[in-house]
Amino acid sequence: MANKSFGQKLLGVWNTRTIVTVAIGAALFGVLMNYGGIPVFTNTSLTTAMIVPVVVGAMYGPLPAFVAAGVGNVIADLIGGWGLWFDWSVGNAVAALFVGLLPIYGAYITDGVFEVKHAVIYAICCVIGNAVAFGVVTPILTAVFYGSDLNVTFLQAIAASLGNIAVEVVIGIPILFILAKRYKSRSNLEEDE
Amino acid sequence: MKEPIISFKDFGFKYKAQKNPTLYDINLDIYPGEKILILGASGSGKSTLCNCINGLIPFSYDGTITGSCTVNGAETKKSSIFKLSGSVGTVLQDSDAQFVGLSVGEDIAFALENEMMPRKDMIPVIDRNASMVGMQDFIGHVPFNLSGGQKQKVAIAGVFGNDVEILIFDEPLAALDPQMGMTAVDLIDNISRESGKTIIIVEHRLEDVLYRPVDRVILMAEGRIVADMKPDDLLRSTLLSECGIREPLYITAMKYAGCSLEGNRNLCDLSSLELSAENREKLRTFFTEERESIRENNNDPVVSFKDVSFSYEGGKKVLSDVSFDIKRGERIAIIGRNGAGKSTAAKLLCGIIRPDSGTIELDGRDISSLSVKEIGEKVGYVMQDPNQMIVKDIIKDEVGMALDIRGRSEEEKTEIVNNALRTCGLYKMRNWPVDSISYGQKKRVTVASMMALEPDVFILDEPTAGQDFRSYTDIMNFVNTLNREYGKTILFITHDMHLAIENTDRAIVFSDGKLIASDRVFSVLSDKTS
Amino acid sequence: MNNRLVINYTPGPTMLHRLTGFTKVFLFIAMTVAIIATYDIRILIPLFLINLAEMISMKPNYKPIVIMFAITFVTVTLLGNVMLFLVSPDVGFNNIGVTNMLWQGSGRLYLTKEFLWYCLVIFVKRTASFASVMAFALATTPSEFASGLNKVGLPYKVCTIVSLAYRTIPDIANDFINIRNSMMMRGVELSKKASLWKRLKNTVLILVPLIFTAFGKVGNIANAMDLRGYGKHRKRTWYAEHETSKWDTIIRILAVILLAAAVYYIIRYRIIDPWPARIWCPWADPNEIVSVNQIDTVFFMKWFKK
Ligand SMILES: Nc1ncnc2c1ncn2[C@@H]1O[C@H](COP(=O)(O)OP(=O)(O)OP(=O)(O)O)[C@@H](O)[C@H]1O
Ligand SMILES: Nc1ncnc2c1ncn2[C@@H]1O[C@H](COP(=O)(O)OP(=O)(O)OP(=O)(O)O)[C@@H](O)[C@H]1O
Ligand SMILES: [Mg+2]
Ligand SMILES: [Mg+2]
Repeated sequence: MANKSFGQKLLGVWNTRTIVTVAIGAALFGVLMNYGGIPVFTNTSLTTAMIVPVVVGAMYGPLPAFVAAGVGNVIADLIGGWGLWFDWSVGNAVAALFVGLLPIYGAYITDGVFEVKHAVIYAICCVIGNAVAFGVVTPILTAVFYGSDLNVTFLQAIAASLGNIAVEVVIGIPILFILAKRYKSRSNLEEDE
Repeated sequence: MKEPIISFKDFGFKYKAQKNPTLYDINLDIYPGEKILILGASGSGKSTLCNCINGLIPFSYDGTITGSCTVNGAETKKSSIFKLSGSVGTVLQDSDAQFVGLSVGEDIAFALENEMMPRKDMIPVIDRNASMVGMQDFIGHVPFNLSGGQKQKVAIAGVFGNDVEILIFDEPLAALDPQMGMTAVDLIDNISRESGKTIIIVEHRLEDVLYRPVDRVILMAEGRIVADMKPDDLLRSTLLSECGIREPLYITAMKYAGCSLEGNRNLCDLSSLELSAENREKLRTFFTEERESIRENNNDPVVSFKDVSFSYEGGKKVLSDVSFDIKRGERIAIIGRNGAGKSTAAKLLCGIIRPDSGTIELDGRDISSLSVKEIGEKVGYVMQDPNQMIVKDIIKDEVGMALDIRGRSEEEKTEIVNNALRTCGLYKMRNWPVDSISYGQKKRVTVASMMALEPDVFILDEPTAGQDFRSYTDIMNFVNTLNREYGKTILFITHDMHLAIENTDRAIVFSDGKLIASDRVFSVLSDKTS
Repeated sequence: MNNRLVINYTPGPTMLHRLTGFTKVFLFIAMTVAIIATYDIRILIPLFLINLAEMISMKPNYKPIVIMFAITFVTVTLLGNVMLFLVSPDVGFNNIGVTNMLWQGSGRLYLTKEFLWYCLVIFVKRTASFASVMAFALATTPSEFASGLNKVGLPYKVCTIVSLAYRTIPDIANDFINIRNSMMMRGVELSKKASLWKRLKNTVLILVPLIFTAFGKVGNIANAMDLRGYGKHRKRTWYAEHETSKWDTIIRILAVILLAAAVYYIIRYRIIDPWPARIWCPWADPNEIVSVNQIDTVFFMKWFKK
C-alpha cells in the first residue's frame, strides 16, 4: 500500500482481486442491510452493513469502498424488495467514500499499520462523511426525485448518520485493529518447536 | 530431443508471508505431450509448484523467486497471467472456490466467455464437456446445492473448454468416488493421448492414478524434488514409504508376502501384472493364511436412524426412509457415490439439518428436542470442506476454541491442543494463520479441533481427502486408540476403500439416498455396489 | 434465510422469464425513470397496474412477496405518515398549493384534505416502484442481469461485480449458518435456549468471522478467474444472453415508447409549462395554487430568513 501513488490509493488498483473483493463486499452489504439491522426510522436502520466499506476501503481504498456500498445498496433494495431508492444508495456510497479514505492518511492496514492517530482521523472522516452524505446529497436527491418531505428526510438523515457513525466507530475501529494485526501476523512465519 | 515445454532451472520460491522458502533448487524439464504425476506429502509444495507454472506465482501470490521457470520458452515472471492462461489450464485443489458461474453450464462456459466465443458455438462445447464428466443433467443447476464431488467434476469440465497445451490437475480425485475417480483418470488419459496435451497431475491416490499409465513420477519432499523416475522403478524402490506416500495395496501385499519386485514387468498396472511363479505361490500362501476375525460387537446402539427422510428445500429427496443402528464402540464406514447423501446423513445426525420425517436417536434419546450444542457435546463432526468449519485466524486458537467455551483451564487447554496438533503433524505451525497453510493441512486443522473434544461419536467426512499416508496413519492411529481405549464410536464417510477395509468393522452403503447395504466391508465390496 | 430473499437463479417458464437480459434491464430502467418522473396519480396507477400484471403473469410464489410488502410498506409507510403528520402537517399544502382543513387540533396539530392526498400519491408511487422491482427481480436471473447491464453499456467488469455479488450471497448465507453451526457444535449456545441478550452478543461474535470468511475467499475466486482468462480482452460474451425472440422486439419497442413518453412528460409538464404545484390534485384549481419553494419548507430555513 505505502509504495502506491496517490492516484492508486484514491482509485484503487482494479485487478481481478479488487473486483472480487468489491463484489463480495457488495453481497455482504446487501445481506447485512436486510438482516444485520435494527429498524430505527422510515427506511433507515441501525445497520451493520456500513462495516463493509470500512473493510473494503482498508484493503483497496475509497473508490472500491464507494462502489461496494453503491452496488451493495442497489442489490439490497432489489433482493429486499424495497424498491430502488437512489437517494439513499448514493448517500451510502458517498459516506462509504469518506469511510474508505484510510490509505490516504497513511493507515496501510494491509501492511499492518493502524495506530490510534489513524483511528482518530478515521472517526472524524466517519462524521464528515455521514454529514455530507446524509445532510446534503441524500436530501437533495430526495427532494428532486422522490418528493418526500424535506423535514422528515432531514430527521431520517440525522438518525441514519448517528446510527452509521455509532456502528462505524464502535464496531469499525476494533475490526480495523484486528485486520491490521491479521495482516501483520502474515509475515516471516517460521516453524517453531 | 524436443524442446521442453516447461523447464525449471535452480528454481526456488518463498511466499511473502514465510520466513523460509517453500521450494528449493527445483530442476525439472517437462516435454510436450508428457503425462507427469507429482507425488509428495501434504505441505511438500506440490500446489506451489503448479502455481509457478500457471502464473499464480508470482502474479497472484507475492513472494521471491530465485532461478528461472520457463513455459513455452517464455520466462513466467516476465510473462503475464493472461498469456499463461492461454497455454495452461488448471483445476485448482479447492473445487468450491473455483466455481464462479451461477450455474453449472455457466461455470463451464466461463473460459469461453472470456475468449469472446459467440453463444451459439458455446452450447455444443458445454454439452460435450458436461457429459464427459457425467454432469449433463445438471447444466441448469446452481452451485449452492451440489455435493463436494459434483463440484469437482464441473471444475474438471471447465478446463476442457479452452484449448491449452498444458493441463494441471491439482488433486482432481480428492472428492470423487472410486468409480468417478476411474472415469476421471480415463478422461485425462484420453485427452493426453488424443490431443497430445501435456498433463500434470498432483494426487495422493497413487493407485487410482496408475490405473492408466503415466510417463514419469515426480516425488517431492519438503519443497525439494527427491525423485524423478518411471513409475515402475519408483514402486520397486522404498522411496514411497520413506516420503510417506501410500504404495498401491497389491505392492504392499507382495512386499509383505516377501515377493521380490525385481522380476516383474509393468508393476504399475495390476491388470497386466505378470507374476513370476514363485511370487504367485508366495502370494497364495499369504492370502490363505488365517485372517484375524473382526470382533463381534453386541453393545446397545448409540445412534439409530428410523425411516429418516430428508430433502433440501425445493430439492428432490436426498434421503428416503433410511434406517440403521450403530452400536457403541463400532467403527463404521459410510460409503456411496458422489451425491448419494452421505454428508447429508451426517448433518442430520448433528442436528444442523432436521429430518422431514422419521426420528434419529442418540443414546436412545430422540434428538429432535436437542439443540445443536447439546448434540455437539456427544457428537463431533468434521465437515467435508474445511473452509466451512474454520472460524479463528490462528491455528492453535481454532483448535482451542471449543475448550475455551467449555471453560477448561489454560494449561489443560494448551496440553490438549498441543497433543491434537502433534497427532495431526501441525504442532510446528501452531502459531500460523490458517490461510497460509495447504489444503490438506487445513483439513487436518479441522480434524484436530474435533479430536480436542474427544466426542463419544466421531464423524469424519472424507478425513483422508488430500492427505498423505503419514498424516493418514497418524490420524487413523489416534482415532483407533480413541475407539479401543475409550470405546468411542467412529463414523468414516469416505471414498477410500483402503480406509474402509483397514479401519472399520462394518460399512453402510448409500445409493441415491437409499441405504442399500450394511455389512462387513469385505462382503460389501465383493458385491460391487458402491 | 434465502427463501426470504427475492432472487431466482433458475430461469422460469413464462414469456417474461424467457426475454433476454437486455430486454429486461432496459424495460426496468424505462419503468424506473417513468415512475420517478411523475407525481401524477393518473399516470402512476396505470404504471403500477402494468407491473402488477407482469408479476402475476409470472405465477410467483406470493408468500415472500406479501411478507415483504407487509414489512416494507405497512410498517414503513404508516410510521412515515404518522411522523409526517407530527413533523410537517402542511406538507400537503407545500406540494399541492391549496388547503382544505379537515380537522384543527391544538397549534401545529391539524389534518388537511391535501395531506391525505399527498400521502396517497406517495404511497402509490412507492407501491408502483415496489411492483416494478419485484417484477424485475422475479423475471431476471443474476446472470441475465449482468449480461443485460453489459449490453446496456456498462463495462463488463462492473457487470461481473453484480453477478459475482449474487453468486456469493447464498454462500454468505451458508457461511453464516456454517459458522453458527461449527460454533454451536463446539459449545456456543445460539439456539432459543440461550437468553436473548446472550444470543445478540453471540450473533455479533459471528459477524466478525463472517466478514473475514467472506473476504477470505477473494484470493481463491480471483485465482480461478484469472486462470480462466478473465479480463483478457476488452469485451466478453455471455452464456446467459440467449437469442432474442419476437417478444423481445415487441417489449423493447414498448420500453422505448415508455421511455420517450416519460422524457416528453418531464420536459412538457415539469419544465415548459409546469403544473403550478408539484403534485396534481383533482380539486385544486390551477389559478388558486400557491407554488412553494421546497427549500423554504425546511425547518431551519426560517432561522436564515430573519
Ligand atoms: N498462501 C500461502 N501463504 C504462505 N504460505 C503458504 C501459502 N500457501 C502454502 N504455503 C506454504 O507452502 C507449503 C506448501 O503448500 P502447498 O499447498 O504447495 O502444499 P501441497 O503439497 O499442495 O499440500 P497438499 O497436498 O496438502 O495440498 C505449506 O506448508 C505452507 O506452509
Ligand atoms: N445445501 C444443499 N442444498 C440443496 N441440495 C443439496 C445441498 N447439499 C447437497 N445437496 C444435494 O443433496 C445430494 C446429496 O448431497 P451430499 O453432500 O450428502 O452427497 P455426498 O454423499 O456427501 O456426496 P460427496 O461424496 O460428493 O460429498 C446431492 O445430490 C446434492 O446435489
Ligand atoms: Mg495442494
Ligand atoms: Mg459429502
